[in-house]
Amino acid sequence: MSDQQTPNTVTFTLDGQEVTVPKGTTILRAAESIGIKIPHYCFHPGLSSPAMCRLCLVEVEGWPRMAPSCKETAQDGMVVFTNSELAQKQRTGVLEFYLVNHPLDCPICDQSGECDLQDYVFEEGREHGRGREPKRVLGRDDFGGDVLFNGDRCVMCTRCVRFMREVAEDERLCVVERGNRAVIDTFFEEGLEGSPYAGNIIDICPVGALISKDFLHKARAWDLDRTPSVCPSCSQGCNITLQVRDDLVQRLKPRENLEVNGWWMCDFGRHNYEWMNRTDRTEVPMVRGQEVGWADALGDLLQALKDAKESVKAVTWAHAPNEEMGLLSGLLAELGGGEVVYRSPRTEGEVPLPGFPLLARREDLAPNVNGAEIFGFRRVGDNNSQGGLDELAGHDGVLIVVGDPIEDYGEDFGSKAELYVYLGSYQSKTASNAHFVLPITTFAEQEGTYTNVQGRVQRFWPGVRSPASARPGWLILGALVAELTGTEAPVSADQAFAKIAEKTSEFGGITYRDLGPRGAVAGKPAGVSGD
Amino acid sequence: MSEARKIPFRNPGWAGNTGEFDLTEAQVRGDEYVGKRPPEGGHASGASTYPYMLAERDPEAPIFDGPFKERLEKIRSRYPDARSALLPALGMAQELRGYLSPETMEQVAGLLDLSPAYVRGVATFYTMYNKRPVGRFLIQVCTNISCGICGGDDVLQAFLNNTETELGETSEDGNFTVIEAECLAGCGFPTTVQINSRYYENVMPKDVPEILERLKAQGE
Ligand code: SF4
Ligand code: SF4
Ligand code: FES
Ligand code: FES
Repeated sequence: MSDQQTPNTVTFTLDGQEVTVPKGTTILRAAESIGIKIPHYCFHPGLSSPAMCRLCLVEVEGWPRMAPSCKETAQDGMVVFTNSELAQKQRTGVLEFYLVNHPLDCPICDQSGECDLQDYVFEEGREHGRGREPKRVLGRDDFGGDVLFNGDRCVMCTRCVRFMREVAEDERLCVVERGNRAVIDTFFEEGLEGSPYAGNIIDICPVGALISKDFLHKARAWDLDRTPSVCPSCSQGCNITLQVRDDLVQRLKPRENLEVNGWWMCDFGRHNYEWMNRTDRTEVPMVRGQEVGWADALGDLLQALKDAKESVKAVTWAHAPNEEMGLLSGLLAELGGGEVVYRSPRTEGEVPLPGFPLLARREDLAPNVNGAEIFGFRRVGDNNSQGGLDELAGHDGVLIVVGDPIEDYGEDFGSKAELYVYLGSYQSKTASNAHFVLPITTFAEQEGTYTNVQGRVQRFWPGVRSPASARPGWLILGALVAELTGTEAPVSADQAFAKIAEKTSEFGGITYRDLGPRGAVAGKPAGVSGD
Repeated sequence: MSEARKIPFRNPGWAGNTGEFDLTEAQVRGDEYVGKRPPEGGHASGASTYPYMLAERDPEAPIFDGPFKERLEKIRSRYPDARSALLPALGMAQELRGYLSPETMEQVAGLLDLSPAYVRGVATFYTMYNKRPVGRFLIQVCTNISCGICGGDDVLQAFLNNTETELGETSEDGNFTVIEAECLAGCGFPTTVQINSRYYENVMPKDVPEILERLKAQGE
């Protein structure tokens, strides 16, 4: 490794391995880069390092005392041991202190299973505590918003205080008192109510001291399936993880992406997930009121489309993935052109996160407005994603609805249409005139991409099983386009993306492989999220 | 003769007029004291024989008015940012009002453009800020190592018994609040007791009634 050395790097020895890192890299980060995890509480990559938890101390050869690896930068020739007897003994000792007043209530603690205290003590803690004194009891406090504070579990890392100070720039938390009596609190009854990003302190709290009221006792951490995804609640497209149990989304957590959302997400997006668990779903393909198999449904539809004489109009929404939009656009082109309109909710004003300027809750409250614009769809309807479809409602040609359940129109929607095709995930009264009702999967159930406000194309993965025979929209549209053009139908999301990328210069030259887990701005190389 | 000998007395409780504080010596030490101290000065351990500061306190006092406003401005001008002026500002607020109520903290926060939560964090970190109303005499008895082994706990108990209060509670006449303190840096003269801004040293339980009597007389 040392042959890569340049004036801007340093090379040192970490647990017997030679490591070369950029100058100024802390030992902790250098260790991380080669897969060595040094236990720590107070350090968080998105916050300042106060070096106060004393858990990350490592032994440095020739140094009189141990060094906090979160703060100490690697120097040429340094010889560091993270796992020497001394380092281990130090951690065992520090952890014993952490447990002096800790209630050890893991069985009823929501953090259990993803708790740094639990993990570290399990690995290196003493088997039995030696404390005989009664434990200090602080109790619980409702911090307002979604945040519940359980003082006894707190390890005083002050990550929450620093997040509110440095990132939210709304310093509403402080350490009250000191020493044994120290406790995190807000200004008396002020609370965190109204702070749009406060939910992040729950994520960064390394223990179960800050917990979500919404998630309280809902699921155990180890029962959750975690799937990388993209927040669908605004055009920022924060990278998230869907956390799912029994095919129900239980909560959303931010996923690191330094180009988009850092380690954070907004509370609005975080809590806007209940709709992903909607049960009023379309489940089987219906052709003129009859349940049929997919093969028959698509065969019939193809024939009906070929037979149709009148012009085609289509409507979709900004929740549709790029693949669905692109193939819808392709289908219309094959049917002799026709306009696609889309609707998307919108609100006044962005909600920025001051300490991480890339991130703001955007005005468009749907994930793929940019995608819709790239495909040249025309936006209609108001800021609540309502109205604007009067012309379509009475259209007498071919009417295609993709995604949008159009709940604001009545049963006579599409009653005049020569052919009305409804590709949707939800049952809707506006589908009652549809000749074809084809169930499609939601974003949580399929693979696909969104284009965010930065023009960044980001992938999401299926985290929930779809009901009965719902299929991804791109699969259905892709099959139709393929039949009409005599080409091969895409059978995977990346083939679908490749198909649209061929035709859409904005996506030209990128593939799913380029996008990776953190997306890429079309036309630029894949985003390498370095830190 | 050295310069120091010309100064009539030096007293650790009075730093001289530094130009920043408008309280006069009489206000700080009490009228009776001014000029009465033996010119040779004497060690701080003799301090217990003298009266001491009895500051004006009014929980409703307007905050940072008049001369206090000037003082605050002066203090602020010394630091690059308002945050640094917080400790003296809180000290002044306490001098005026006797303790730092949530409202006081909020006002100070507003004046220095800090968040109230931050001010609360600072105010509660330092034990010398009173977060609750205290009596006119705040009696802080050291029970740390030196004082502890020399009977600090008994002295504390004597103060509690004689004032008929519990730890931290204010006596009915509003005169006394007794609290326990960590090392007051008077370890050579245990037990050290700090009453308002004055030190009493070598205090023994038997001295307590007399001290309290004299304090009471002061307070009247
Ligand atoms: S509440 Fe959590 S994040 Fe905040 S100081 Fe305590 S342990 Fe750290
Ligand atoms: S800022 Fe937008 S994308 Fe990010 S979490 Fe909030 S709603 Fe979701
Ligand atoms: S992480 Fe280094 S001291 Fe806390
Ligand atoms: S131990 Fe009492 S003053 Fe130091």
